[in-house]
Amino acid sequence: MNKIISILFIGLLAFTSCKKDNYDAPNAGLSGRFVDAETGELVQQDIIRGTQIEIFEHGYGTGQLQYLIVKNDGTYENSLLFANTYTIKPVRGNFIAVEPQDINIQGKTTLDFTVTPYIRLKDVSINKNGNKVVASFKLEQKVINNIKKIGLYAHSDSRVGEPMRLVAAEQELNAVSDPNHTYTLEIDLDANSSVLKAGTSYYFRAGALIDIGDAKLNYAPAVKL
Amino acid sequence: MKKLTTVLLMPLLLAITCCSKKTQSGGDNNPPPNPPQEVEEAVYDETGCLYTSYRNLVMAGYQGWFAAEGDESNRGWYHFQNGSCGGFKPGCSAVDFWPDMTEYTKKYPSPFSFANGSNAPLYSPYDEESVDLHFKWMKDYGIDGVFMQRFVVEIKESNPSGKRHFNKVLENALKAAEKYQRAICVMYDLSGCSAADVAYLEKDWNELQSLFSLFDNKKHPTYIRHNGKPLLSIWGVGFNDNRQYSIADADALISKLKGPEKKISVMLGVPYYWRTLSKDTESSSALHTLAKKCDIIMPWAVGRYNNDSYNNVAGGELAGDIQWCQANKLDYVPLVFPGFSWGNLKNDVNAYNSIPRLKGDFLWKQVAGAKISGAKSLYVAMFDEIDEGTGIYKCAKEDALPLHGDKKFVGIENELASDYYLWLTGQAGKWFRGESGFSATKPAR
Repeated sequence: MNKIISILFIGLLAFTSCKKDNYDAPNAGLSGRFVDAETGELVQQDIIRGTQIEIFEHGYGTGQLQYLIVKNDGTYENSLLFANTYTIKPVRGNFIAVEPQDINIQGKTTLDFTVTPYIRLKDVSINKNGNKVVASFKLEQKVINNIKKIGLYAHSDSRVGEPMRLVAAEQELNAVSDPNHTYTLEIDLDANSSVLKAGTSYYFRAGALIDIGDAKLNYAPAVKL
Repeated sequence: MKKLTTVLLMPLLLAITCCSKKTQSGGDNNPPPNPPQEVEEAVYDETGCLYTSYRNLVMAGYQGWFAAEGDESNRGWYHFQNGSCGGFKPGCSAVDFWPDMTEYTKKYPSPFSFANGSNAPLYSPYDEESVDLHFKWMKDYGIDGVFMQRFVVEIKESNPSGKRHFNKVLENALKAAEKYQRAICVMYDLSGCSAADVAYLEKDWNELQSLFSLFDNKKHPTYIRHNGKPLLSIWGVGFNDNRQYSIADADALISKLKGPEKKISVMLGVPYYWRTLSKDTESSSALHTLAKKCDIIMPWAVGRYNNDSYNNVAGGELAGDIQWCQANKLDYVPLVFPGFSWGNLKNDVNAYNSIPRLKGDFLWKQVAGAKISGAKSLYVAMFDEIDEGTGIYKCAKEDALPLHGDKKFVGIENELASDYYLWLTGQAGKWFRGESGFSATKPAR
């Protein structure tokens, strides 16, 4: 296997050496994590319509912005970038805005973002209680804005969230949360039996949305029930 | 072609650089160039200084720009009058609020009267006793001090009467600040400046330092220090409202004022959306470069939100600003204001109470918002600004206002005392100085 790669690599070199003006192949990559500045935990995201990382390649680039997707668990990876200097900025996130930074991407480059999520879901429990799935949690918000809504989302895929759900139980708050209050949401399995089939496991995830521009929801990790 | 150019230019360039080296060293031995001169950082004796940091303080802006006809400034009803409607008389004024004159000892009859026919007098900050009273209030209510506004266009050489006025008001204030142990700081406002005016500021600043011995810790133990240096504030950099000076002008000025010895600390007054370089802010990262050379960032928030929109507008900005400043090792001071009203200044009845005070709910919402977001200090706009109706000092209540022809004055809400906004600001002072028992709920008096 290694041999094949080597052969391919030599072939590549041969190819690139044909014309000096050619770019190198996109053999560099950027990966990393969104880490909660206070707890050190990964900051949960949405894979669809979630936080993105805006990157702008200096110099030789197309002059166009590219966007990297962040995975549900708060990690990201793109291994098809040209080695170069980039301006990197997370956008439309679920955390207090961070500044763009310039980074030189060579080979496999790692860049973690230490961020403060808008909302932390605390003391989370998601359990099956008879024919209901009940989520309860407290909210700790790090900005003074209203919380728009809270939600409990269900899907057969582990990447469950507000944009990717079969069933949702949501509650509009439109108020600043009370840190001492325990918020409760429930999904009635019987009432949703046509979607959530009995005897099948599903993923459940609780989240809350801050009322700031195009901010995304903050979540607790998904639970399989 | 390229090669040819290189061949032709290279020796020439080398020759030139060789020549210049010789000239600089002044000898044939070509000694190594002089190392950059190490300039020693300025060190100040802070013995006896009462305010060595803006952290944990609540300070207000102090306009001091009024004059009363008959005072020694000879500036008529300066800043009470409104040129667009014929001066200062019933039906025409620059001010929406009317000072509560009960406690002033030096008063001037004004062209205005109360419903009972008695004259409605006014004060002049040109008088020592009136400024003294203001600083007494700061002490009585627990407001840490003020930033003395100094509009560069008001004090430049072509405006001697303005300069005389603001120097006298500053003299009065320095005296009162020492007497009542209130923090004091000079704050230049660049509004209306040309690039040359911005540069002139340095001359004025040097004059002030020698005229008042500003940095003498014994003479002015309450002149505020920050990061070990006397603090100076420069307001009005980065606004995208077609100013005649640039960020580069301000950058050059501040670099000179600080100097290689880092003579002062600087609080930079910037537009509200300074961090994202959007809306009210020029889209130039030069503002961020300049911000990082300063010590404190204070964004202008007046008019950017009201009670209903505050959380939504300010939440993300406050949190983002504070994080940015922490990352860049700067201090951050959010601005709070009690409300806004400039119906008379703008001759627009719709502009009375355009941002309602709501009996202090609006002010307290901002105080709590700033505190909960992690701010360490507050800038209150303003102590005595009644043209735009942001003043917190004692003003006449709604039921005790002079008559105003076909116009009107705006008063402190009848349910409150005339000193309510001083009191509420003092409560903010207690909270920011670390006293317990405060929350997002407005304190009850």
